Amino acid sequence: MKPLSRLSAASDLTLGLIGAFLAVAAWEISARTGLVDPAIFPSPSLAIRAAAERLTAETVADNLFWSLLRVFSGFLLGALAGAAVGIAAGWYRGFGALARPLIELLRPIPPLAWIPLAIIWFGLGEPSKFFIIFLGAFFPVVTAAYQGMRSIDPMLLKAAQTFGLSGVPLLLRVAVPAAAPDLATGVRIGWGLSFGVLVAAELIAADRGLGYMIINERNTGGSVGVIVVGILLIGALNLITDAAIGAAIKRWIGRWHGA
Amino acid sequence: MSQSPVMERRSPDTGVGGRGPAEAAFIRIDGARKVFTQRSGGAVPVLDNVDLAIAENEFVSFIGRSGCGKTTLLNMIAGLEDVSAGRIAIAGKVVTGPGQGQGVVFQQHALFPWLTAVDNVAFGFRKSGLAKAERCRRALELLSLVGLDAAAGRYPREMSGGMQQRVSIARALALDPQILLMDEPFGALDELTRIELQQELLRIWEARRKTIVFVTHSISEALTLSDRIVLLASNPGRIKRIFPVDLPRPRLRTDPGFNALYQAIWNELST
Repeated sequence: MKPLSRLSAASDLTLGLIGAFLAVAAWEISARTGLVDPAIFPSPSLAIRAAAERLTAETVADNLFWSLLRVFSGFLLGALAGAAVGIAAGWYRGFGALARPLIELLRPIPPLAWIPLAIIWFGLGEPSKFFIIFLGAFFPVVTAAYQGMRSIDPMLLKAAQTFGLSGVPLLLRVAVPAAAPDLATGVRIGWGLSFGVLVAAELIAADRGLGYMIINERNTGGSVGVIVVGILLIGALNLITDAAIGAAIKRWIGRWHGA
Repeated sequence: MSQSPVMERRSPDTGVGGRGPAEAAFIRIDGARKVFTQRSGGAVPVLDNVDLAIAENEFVSFIGRSGCGKTTLLNMIAGLEDVSAGRIAIAGKVVTGPGQGQGVVFQQHALFPWLTAVDNVAFGFRKSGLAKAERCRRALELLSLVGLDAAAGRYPREMSGGMQQRVSIARALALDPQILLMDEPFGALDELTRIELQQELLRIWEARRKTIVFVTHSISEALTLSDRIVLLASNPGRIKRIFPVDLPRPRLRTDPGFNALYQAIWNELST
């Protein structure tokens, strides 16, 4: 059983790498043979060369730094607030009845739709981006935390009560750990949404960050290659951070939950 | 070994049986009722006027069809559910909530999945005021009592159902409760594991002198374990009959006395 699944996991990875290689090769060939116009879609080798010429490491590092700073801080606060509100709404009936309709009303609004309002409220500086990213993390986490709290096996709470636990200790020692797997799912979804919202916000209203870097290249009539490389960089960054969060979650709950 | 297996239900005052006449009622249930109020406002009677006295160190089983309120009665003794009318007292003190010397073992899935076996048992010492190292040492001691020293570091999902229930028993014993309340603890286990754990439980009961109230669906399980078997009927839940089991332990299913009682309980259950 085990060697078989390991084998298929390894061959899945190989197939995936082959697939990616084929796509890049097809892209390179179609650009070189003139099948697509290199001026609007340059080959990978051309794009990298253009990016290497036009972007200094310092520029990339600076934009990268600002993007990461924004997304981390906005996400962290959004996730913390979402977890706190979701857990409280799931635990305290009255608060849940009070807060849930409001949350459900605001939740369907895409975070990006808040941008005009965010600019009016907070201006073009950091707070407006922070606000949008905060929303991106808040809603998935608040929903998941609430669901997690509502689906706790009542048996676990009863068992804890037989040991004299009640109130806040029961919440913190039993309910929150029991809801952790759902919470973790929300955190991961929230990270993805925060990241997506970050780039969009930087495309629309920013003077630094990876989103700004690529839209600025477009606006100043720079190289398409820089845009292509910038896009791939954003994708790679999301991939790496998401994998890091996934690994952290696995460390946190993987062994007992089997995620 | 021929004896009249079936006896009339005795009045609560004399309903203490099993281990000699001098023992007083340890758990006393007087006119206990339970009514569930529905969302629509209607009231469903679950238990009606239950009187029962259980002696110290007695092993009593509740048996009956699903919906007869046996689990509700157990939860009421545990202090996990309110009594709608009447009263339940342990050693003379009215039960107002959990933590009055009742340890509870649930059917399954009641271990904390995020804690290892030893931490699950140590959880039972949370209110004890003991230092962490001491809690851990005692938890390991209890794990070895149920034969699980080797699995101390495993999480519940890494253990079989039988192992999980052993941990549950160890955890319930952490408070050194006078009373062990068990709600179909072996109901989800395979036959072999079940018999093993029944023997294990009797061993612990003998060694630690506990009063045990045990809910089960299985007549032979009740007969293997109990001093008395309380048969409950449904709609509303009430005590229909009490069967003292005056058979020497270990009890064999092939024993004629065992069979006669089995038949008597079966007849009572199926009418």
